[in-house]
Amino acid sequence: MTGNVIEARGLSKDRVSSFLLRRSPILDGLSLSVKQGETYGLLGPNGAGKTTTVKILVGLMRPDRGEALVLGEKAGAQSALRKIGFLPENPYFYSHLTGLEFLEFIGQLFGLKKTELRDRVKQLLELVSMTVDADKPMRKYSKGMLQRLGIAQSLINDPEVVFWDEPMSGLDPIGRRDVRKILLDLKARGKTIFFNSHLLPDVSDVCDRVGVLAKGKLVAEDEIKNIVHSGGHKDLEEYFLEKVGG
Amino acid sequence: MSPVFAIALNTFRETVRDRVLYAFFVFACSITVLGILLGSLSVGQDIRIIEDIGLAVIAIIGGIISVFAGTNLVYKELERRTIYVIFTKPVSSWQFICGKYLGLVGCIFVVVLAMGLFLLGLIWMVEPSHHVAQVPLLGASLGLVFLELLFVLALATFFSTFSNPIMSVVFTISLWFIGHLGGSLLDLSKMSTNAAVQQLLSSLYWCLPDLAQLTRIRSVLMYGREPSQEIIIYMLAYVFAYIFFLLGLASTVNERREFP
Repeated sequence: MTGNVIEARGLSKDRVSSFLLRRSPILDGLSLSVKQGETYGLLGPNGAGKTTTVKILVGLMRPDRGEALVLGEKAGAQSALRKIGFLPENPYFYSHLTGLEFLEFIGQLFGLKKTELRDRVKQLLELVSMTVDADKPMRKYSKGMLQRLGIAQSLINDPEVVFWDEPMSGLDPIGRRDVRKILLDLKARGKTIFFNSHLLPDVSDVCDRVGVLAKGKLVAEDEIKNIVHSGGHKDLEEYFLEKVGG
Repeated sequence: MSPVFAIALNTFRETVRDRVLYAFFVFACSITVLGILLGSLSVGQDIRIIEDIGLAVIAIIGGIISVFAGTNLVYKELERRTIYVIFTKPVSSWQFICGKYLGLVGCIFVVVLAMGLFLLGLIWMVEPSHHVAQVPLLGASLGLVFLELLFVLALATFFSTFSNPIMSVVFTISLWFIGHLGGSLLDLSKMSTNAAVQQLLSSLYWCLPDLAQLTRIRSVLMYGREPSQEIIIYMLAYVFAYIFFLLGLASTVNERREFP
């Protein structure tokens, strides 16, 4: 490993229409890298390719061209998946399970031992403030509660790298504050964090570095401190709008 | 706990909480009414009628559950996007397919067992002096029904990895039905005078499943006779080989797909 925990080299992915098999690019030669312990925010307008990038990095999709490495392994390799946590955008879980059963199920996928699993689930439910509702079936959960549970499931294996796709989506201000706290805590523990978000103030608060994606290409990348202090921009929003031409 | 067992338990819970076990009550009502009604119309054959109808209804209800739950097995995970959570964990394609399959097998086992016990109870209620020696034969017939359902479920699981539920139901039921007519293909090939047609029909016979033998063994059992051990071993090996083949194919198909 070269010190980069996440590495994307020339990633390209096309969308193929089902009828005429016409190809249109979603990602176009995307290259980026994230160092160990770094918090990286991938920004971009809707349809820029942020979710596709994350899906390639966690192995749900394969690039048409280029290469993606996580912890020195090919993205999606079992050994890499064992050490990462993933929160999908607008998470949908099993409506027939309770929150507690769901977290136990996820822990079992990692092969956690019964006592270890019980302690970990209890700890995570407290972390995302879901202890009281843990025994309710998930079909009765609000969007915010599902999001909190999604965050909890992504941390069940105490991952080295966390991929969160829109972690603040669906959360009220209290929820957003709690997620920010979790992110800062993970960061303090030296975890590598890669996340997508539209909520620029939150990104500005927690990220070390951001990349701006537009039409599948990385159009800008810089450290937060450079953008705000020496980059001549009032805030991250101004930087973002300038780079995407908004 | 291994991922296979975790996925199997989750699938079992899901199917049970989807109220699939209510099928048992449909069975209980239909067999009680049909068996007693038709049994009373026959002279001295009421137990035989209850047994025959009971096994047929168990096969039909078990088949309906296998086809409809099986064809939704993988599709539902894709549709609800719960698959994102599974395949971003250290779970391989074969572990996922095996877990889903075994979970549903567990559910069908419970349904078939409950229906079988109810059938036995009904027989004893109608004829308390019914010969105890018949019980293992009825059990063996139920075992054959279950074996056939395992095969149907593997077919449904395979189709659910690449097709939508409606098409999967059509494909599964078609192959299941053809499986019972396999012998006719072989007979037809022997009757044909054209070598090419003979070759085509016999190749088709060897490619398609042959389930007619299961029905024949069941008939032998229901007449109170024991089938030969060789034929039982052959059928077990045949059905399990087919199941492994179908699940292997399903894992390969699933391995190659992406989850956009």
